[in-house]
Amino acid sequence: MLLALLMCYAGFTALCLSTDRHHGELLHQKPSPTRRLGLRLGGWLLLIAAIWPAVLAAGWSQGLVEWCAVLMLSALLLVLLLPYRPRLALILAGLSLLASPVAAFALS
Amino acid sequence: MKEGFRQAMAWLHTWAGLIFGWLLFAIFLTGTLAYFKDEITHWMQPEVQAHPLDDGRSLAVAQSYLQQQAPTAASWFITLPNSRDPGLSVMWQDKVEPGKRGTFIQKILDPVSGQPVQARDSKGGEFFYRFHFQLQMPYPWGRWLSTIAAMVMFVALITGIITHKKIFKDFFTFRPRKGQRSWLDGHNAVGVLVLPFHLMITYSSLVIFMSMVMPAPIMASYGDDSRAFFKELFPNTDNAPALGQPGQLLPLLPMYQQAREQWAGGHVGRVAVNNPGDVNASVNVFRAGSDSVVHDFGNTVSFSGTTGELLRVSGEPSLPAVIGGSFYGLHMGHFAGPVLRWLYFICGLAGTAMIGTGLVIWLGKRQLKHAKSAAMPFELRLVEVLNIASMAGLMIAIAAFFWANRLLPVSFAARSDWEVQAFFVAWGLSLLHAMLRRARRGWVEQLSIGALLFMAIPLLNAITTTQHLGVSLLNGDWAMAGFDLTCLASGVFLAWAAWKMQRRTASQPKAERARGLTLKQEAG
Repeated sequence: MLLALLMCYAGFTALCLSTDRHHGELLHQKPSPTRRLGLRLGGWLLLIAAIWPAVLAAGWSQGLVEWCAVLMLSALLLVLLLPYRPRLALILAGLSLLASPVAAFALS
Repeated sequence: MKEGFRQAMAWLHTWAGLIFGWLLFAIFLTGTLAYFKDEITHWMQPEVQAHPLDDGRSLAVAQSYLQQQAPTAASWFITLPNSRDPGLSVMWQDKVEPGKRGTFIQKILDPVSGQPVQARDSKGGEFFYRFHFQLQMPYPWGRWLSTIAAMVMFVALITGIITHKKIFKDFFTFRPRKGQRSWLDGHNAVGVLVLPFHLMITYSSLVIFMSMVMPAPIMASYGDDSRAFFKELFPNTDNAPALGQPGQLLPLLPMYQQAREQWAGGHVGRVAVNNPGDVNASVNVFRAGSDSVVHDFGNTVSFSGTTGELLRVSGEPSLPAVIGGSFYGLHMGHFAGPVLRWLYFICGLAGTAMIGTGLVIWLGKRQLKHAKSAAMPFELRLVEVLNIASMAGLMIAIAAFFWANRLLPVSFAARSDWEVQAFFVAWGLSLLHAMLRRARRGWVEQLSIGALLFMAIPLLNAITTTQHLGVSLLNGDWAMAGFDLTCLASGVFLAWAAWKMQRRTASQPKAERARGLTLKQEAG
């Protein structure tokens, strides 16, 4: 479930950064169109790809339930962190991307 | 036209949400607590000690106890201990003439010594579980009311989605410290981000009471004989009748092992023995609900009790049963391990928060119009009182329930009923208090009382039992330790809420005074 959580959190952060408003708030500039597209694509890919580790670890039925659960939790966490600790929210996203390969290695 | 439709939906959302909001808040909060039903029961019956699990030992102990105490019973039920519920529960039903139902007697055994544990009489987590769909009303009124509430909740969810103009644009938006704006943001955030859970939990609750809400299909196919429908749905407990000749029951452990082989290592939840002292004794081994997401109402392996012969293995459930069972299973979350169970709990709290913020918004919007007049209209005052009592008051009531568990003497008559009384008395008092006090003061005082009561629970546990945090953490009794820590955390949260409310109360009169001053100057 850990890898799925890391991927979902990073995915939602990417989707969040792909909007003008949040990109401006977090990075103090507007995203270029290519960057916006890249973030949006990467975000969606991460969210959907997170199904794979969840299902691999727990089977289809339980895995899908766990994926839904971490999907909701990661979004909730991000939205609660953004107004209070925006830098921490970004750092966490970077850390989850970094830690993902380690978690994937532990899973296989 | 489109705007008219949206306005109509907003109207429905507002009023359906208000009328059922208080009830739904209580249903959601107690239902969320019910995810930790077994852990709460464990805390409320601290006499039942946790031991390392050993199903073989537990079964042997239970069988020899029942053989001694109830050799001629009509049936035995043995529920094995698990990581959440450490007690070995045995229950038997007295034999009476056919057509009547014998009384059930239940005991909790220590799975190591085999002696019955003199646990204090308490409803434990079962109280919250029962309350969240029966509402402490006589059958079937509570079930009907909670089902109607679930339908209203479903309507409120759908209309809420339609009313919310910018779901995707505001997906990540939460702006704190902006008064009404923040409440609305929070309401939207917990609503939208946890929407899959809200939809699942609400829809599945309707599926669970399907046969009660929409009995027409059953009546059409089975006439008035609804028993025939349930018999066909759950065929597995149809066992041979007693022959009347005494027989010797074989040890249960080999049957337990054989059943687990049938399920490729799945776990056993319950063992039922019919006519244990008869030649025709039969043993049903039920699979544990924690094994699969899809709830199976009768995944059993049946044996002859005297020969050990395998009689029947329940077949694969049909597709409709799988669909119904998966909604049931998703709602109950029996399959969830510790981490997923906590996620369920958090989702439930998010649902509770969504309802609570909705109620606050309703009042806040209308209060603005009357900010300048001294007295509030009656209907707003009513909503305010009910808001305080249904939210802060419910927290106090829950804490009072736990306090009563520790403070009532163990030998008290009808003890478990008095615990429930304490819950409702505390709730009633909070309603009275909310009526007597001015709004903000009411909030602050009730939140503070709730905070004190919850924060003191680990202390209370340490004083009244031997299983305080130091002991439970060292022994790895996570249910006991987790309960204490969660109470502490809830207390801290309530204290924070009280502090926030207090600060707003303190700052408001100042602002009003300032406004009054400027007005005077302008007048002068």
